[in-house]
Amino acid sequence: MRHVAVVDLGYGDAGKGTIVDWLCATRRVHTVIRFNGGAQAAHNVVLRDGRHHTFAQFGAGTFHPGVGTHLSRHVVVDPLALAAEADHLATVGVPDALDRLTVDGDALLATPYHRAANRAREIARGADRHGSCGLGVGEAVAYGLAHPDDAPRVADCRSPALLRRRLTVLRDRLTAELGPLDAPPVEDCLPAFTGFAGRVAIVDASWLAGALRSGTCVFEGAQGVLLDEWHGFHPYTTWSTTTFANVESLLAEAGQPGGATRIGVLRIVTTRHGAGPLVTEDPALPLVDSHNPTNPWQGRFRFGHFDAVAHRYALAAAGGVDGLALTHLDLAGPDLRICRRYDTTDRLDPGPPGDLDRQTALTARLLRSRPLYDDPPRDWAEAVGTELDAPVVLTSRGPTADDKRTHGPLLAAPELARSA
Amino acid sequence: MGSGIWSTDVYDAADRYRRSTGRSAFSYSDSGARTVHPALDPRDASRESRDSDEHPQSTPIAVLFDVTGSMRRVPRALQTKLPQLLGLLQRQGYASDPQIMFGAIGDATCDRVPLQVGQFESDNRMDDDLGRIVLEGGGGGQMSESYELALYFMARHTVTDNWDKRGRRGYLFIIGDELAYPQVKAREVAGLIGDDLGEDVPLRQVVDEVTRRWDTYYLLPAGSHYAGNATVLDFWRDLLGQNAVVLDDLDAVCETIALTIGLGEQAIDLDEGLRHLDHAGSAATGTVSKALARLGRGRRAEVSTLPAFRDTTGGVRRL
Repeated sequence: MRHVAVVDLGYGDAGKGTIVDWLCATRRVHTVIRFNGGAQAAHNVVLRDGRHHTFAQFGAGTFHPGVGTHLSRHVVVDPLALAAEADHLATVGVPDALDRLTVDGDALLATPYHRAANRAREIARGADRHGSCGLGVGEAVAYGLAHPDDAPRVADCRSPALLRRRLTVLRDRLTAELGPLDAPPVEDCLPAFTGFAGRVAIVDASWLAGALRSGTCVFEGAQGVLLDEWHGFHPYTTWSTTTFANVESLLAEAGQPGGATRIGVLRIVTTRHGAGPLVTEDPALPLVDSHNPTNPWQGRFRFGHFDAVAHRYALAAAGGVDGLALTHLDLAGPDLRICRRYDTTDRLDPGPPGDLDRQTALTARLLRSRPLYDDPPRDWAEAVGTELDAPVVLTSRGPTADDKRTHGPLLAAPELARSA
Repeated sequence: MGSGIWSTDVYDAADRYRRSTGRSAFSYSDSGARTVHPALDPRDASRESRDSDEHPQSTPIAVLFDVTGSMRRVPRALQTKLPQLLGLLQRQGYASDPQIMFGAIGDATCDRVPLQVGQFESDNRMDDDLGRIVLEGGGGGQMSESYELALYFMARHTVTDNWDKRGRRGYLFIIGDELAYPQVKAREVAGLIGDDLGEDVPLRQVVDEVTRRWDTYYLLPAGSHYAGNATVLDFWRDLLGQNAVVLDDLDAVCETIALTIGLGEQAIDLDEGLRHLDHAGSAATGTVSKALARLGRGRRAEVSTLPAFRDTTGGVRRL
């Protein structure tokens, strides 16, 4: 039984959600496992009947009856956004999303205090914004690293007194650092967090090992490798490991090291939401993205030509893939070109994790680089496969599962693979 | 990637978790309750569908289904399907600001809970009412249930801004498989609803009253005891004309209701609606098109004869 891990080899928004939905539509999937990020994920899934949901914390396979969601300890859990998301799922025909959810008790909580601190910092940065989403995910990670023993975690929601203490200490520390926070009193926060604990299955690490033994699981990544905390272009990064690293550690802990087929997702239009390098950016590209409107925290959604240099770097940083999923092929046309090299180099090499000075220098170099373009390839799947030296095993030319096509046996539905 | 489109308000979230209880949707009934839930009690009650700032053009939709024994598994199947109705209507935009009320019908001659009526709601709180419905499973065995009491309640105990402000009818769907009793009995009304009528009211008079303000449909689902029984269908065709509809596939109940409303609101024609369904990958197109073929041609305020059946009294008199 092979599991599947889905990671974005760009700046996010490549279509991981539609790939995960398609995987769950074409085979029996036990659980979709989130292994990084938090409620700022926005994975859009559209069904043939027009139903649409933006998956933030629930796995993008949730439209398929019986498919579970597991939030592993690497996810920053936001019980408030979770409740609203579950209610929306109920209006699109999924009344039991919370019943199919398991959350690791060790996962950090995002709270209104993290959010208020996140916004206070981003406003103080003024024009030099990082493109943060304003949900406090990064704040929660930073606080968890600084105060591992008293950062609020999912399991604390079962003990109101403990949670009250931890939220109070959190609020006081952040207030001392940033001034008064625009957030409700601790006492007003408690009912939502305890209500979450009363409603959702909070589990320990052994649960995941059982799930991985019980059936095929899909690991759904959030954001993209080019935003990775160590390999992204500092400081325009996320407080999250966006490579396969967390997947591999979870599998190893469960006694199934290397047990997942690694899929890298790319769109033929390289995009970015928020500030930071996007070498191939071209405001003249006649594109809009209905799922990514401008918002006050990240500004405009930016479009660029296919940046093979950046995606090759992401692939190397991620440690390679078994196959690529290429999305948005419906946008191919005479306007959309491919960038195989910059004026300064055709190759960016990943460094060791943790060397932020090196990443800062890389960012500066990218901001000075100019793209060199080739004509649009006739066959995008072939061109991308050649540039990245990895097989394109799935192509997508639209939002629904019907718009996907497999290439080769790697992602063929198991029953099809057996008869082949 | 994204920006967090889901509300992170602590008060909202607390309220959502309070309302969200992972339990069987018929938990009230399944917990052994055999009396009407206070929230669904028709006694001295009125049900209102009102406009609000958020929902300025409310369209009231009432769905009442037979919960007696002859319906077999139908009520539970409906209960799993009906929560999707609101989302479907909102997605398709067939009706402005839909407000949905669920209710249940039993037999006043022998059941403990002959009539249960929820509230008109614009969000999924209506599902809470579904969960409070007591499944009788009884019934009288004489091929009749107290549909006339439900029609009476809808005629005289509902108030809608849609009618009062705009002169527009709401939608009433009765889902069942038997006949109504020929009279609304004053004694039953006094006991259940609390009105003092003095004398029984003939069924046809109640139908005339209710259809004045409600576009009324009778859906006869497959899988119920009397499905395919010509007596039952003829009875309702005689009262409601083309608005008595056979439903082959219970799974298509929401699509059938939504499309019926879309036709009634003249938001779509039948072909377009079926295209929507087909595009949606719904397996229901055959069922729905069969059920609604007549409605698609005969618009509201028209009377069409029924080629497949003997000519009836000409459907419902429209105002």
